[in-house]
Amino acid sequence: MRVEHIINFKLNGNPVSVKCPPAYTLLEVLREQLHVTGPKEDCAKGECGACTVLMNSRPVCSCLVLVSQAEGAEIVTSEGLMKNGRLNPVQEAFLEEGAVQCGHCIPGMIISASALLMRNPNPTFDEIRIALSGNLCRCTGYTKIITAVQKAAERWNHQSP
Amino acid sequence: MMLSEIQVISPRTLNEALELLHRDQAELKIVAGGSDVIVQLRDGIIQAGKLLNVLPLKELRFIRKAGNRLHIGALATYSDIIESELTCRHAWLLVNAAKQIGAVQLQNTATIGGNLGNASPAGDSLPPLYVLDAMVVTRSKSGRRKIPVEDFFVGYRKTAVRPDELIEEVHFDCLNEKDRASYVKFGLRDANAISVVDVAVALRGRMDDGSFSFARVALGAVAPTIRRARRCEEALVHRTLTDETIRQSSSFAVEEASPITDIRGSAEYRRNLVTSLVYEALSEAVFGK
Repeated sequence: MRVEHIINFKLNGNPVSVKCPPAYTLLEVLREQLHVTGPKEDCAKGECGACTVLMNSRPVCSCLVLVSQAEGAEIVTSEGLMKNGRLNPVQEAFLEEGAVQCGHCIPGMIISASALLMRNPNPTFDEIRIALSGNLCRCTGYTKIITAVQKAAERWNHQSP
Repeated sequence: MMLSEIQVISPRTLNEALELLHRDQAELKIVAGGSDVIVQLRDGIIQAGKLLNVLPLKELRFIRKAGNRLHIGALATYSDIIESELTCRHAWLLVNAAKQIGAVQLQNTATIGGNLGNASPAGDSLPPLYVLDAMVVTRSKSGRRKIPVEDFFVGYRKTAVRPDELIEEVHFDCLNEKDRASYVKFGLRDANAISVVDVAVALRGRMDDGSFSFARVALGAVAPTIRRARRCEEALVHRTLTDETIRQSSSFAVEEASPITDIRGSAEYRRNLVTSLVYEALSEAVFGK
C-alpha cells in the first residue's frame, strides 16, 4: 500500500510542502512532483553527480537522499542560482567558455563549482579538480569546464553571488 | 516491496530512536547518510518495510577529545572528519582515507557509523579503525556495549550489532607526534572508486633507539572482513626499520589475504598489490612521502 507523508523544505529560496512517499529520493520528488528538472538521474548510485544539489550549502547527490531527510533543509538546484534575473558567475562563465557539449552533466557541474566558490573563492587548479571529481562528463569536456570555473572564480569576488 | 510502500520514521531524539528499536526491531532498517542503504533498497539487495532515519539525531554527530581518547559520533560525515582539526592532528590516516572515499557529494552525506554498519570488506574507514585499535560503542534501551573493532565484524557484511541496537560512536587513543601511521588505497581511478585493495599501518610506542613497540597492519578488500597482518606486525616491532627490513616485513602480509576475483581485479593481482601497498604504506609512515 502506498504510504505518503507531507515533507516541508526550502527549494531555491521558497518554502515547499509536498505530499509524497517518504522513501522516495529527493531527486524523484524534485523532478517528478515539483517539476524541477535541472538535477538529472543517470547512475542512481552516487557515482556520476548529475543529480547534485546543494543541501544546507553543501553539494550532495539528490539520488542518495531520502526526501524525508530533506525535511527542514535548504535545497538549491541550478535553477536557484540566478539572482535578480542574472546568471551566477559560474553559469555565465560556462556559457562564455563553451564548457557545455551535450549539457546533461552541466547542472550538477555548476552546483559543485558554485559550492566550491562559496567556500573557497580562490581555488587552485587541483582544488577545482577535486571539487568536480564527483561529476562525470562523458563528452570528455573537462578542460573547458575547469577553465570556466577559473574564470568564474576571478569574477566571484567582484560580484555578490 | 515498492519504494512507495516503505514507511520512514524519523525520531527526533536518541531515546525515541532506542524506544522504537526496542519495540519494533524486526521490521526496522536503520538509514543514516543513505549512500549504501538507498542503493541496496533500489537494487533489491535488501528489503525493508520501515526505515529508521537516524540522520536527525544531532547528538550522534560529533568529534571530540576526552583525555587521550578521540571520540567520533556515528553520524560524523567524512567531510566532518576531513575538516576537523582533532582528526587531522590525532587520526590523520583516517582523514586520508575519508578524502579518498567517493567524492565531495558522498563525503558530505556518508557517515562513519554507516561505513561500520554496512560492513563491506572494502569500507575505506575500516582499516584505519583497525590499526587504531578502535572501540565501537553500540547502544540500546538497556545500555551500551563496547566492542573492539576486530570483534565487531563477525563475517562478510555481518556485524555484532543486535537488532535492538544502533551504533553510537567509535573511539581510540589519539595518535601523537612520535607515532607513525598511514593509509594507502589502490582504486581504479582517484574519485568514486571502490578499493581494489587498501592498507592502513600504525607504528606506536617509539623507543629511544627509534624502533617501535607496537605495530598494526590492516588489509582491506582482500577477505570477507578487514584482516590484520599479524606476522608482518611481529616483524616490525623492536627492530630498526630500514628499507630492507620494511620490504621483508611487507612480504608476510599476503599470508592473511584470501581475495576473490571480481570486476575490479583478479585474486592474483590483489595478492601482488597487498605486498606492494603494505611496503608503500610502511615506507610513507616511516620515511615520509
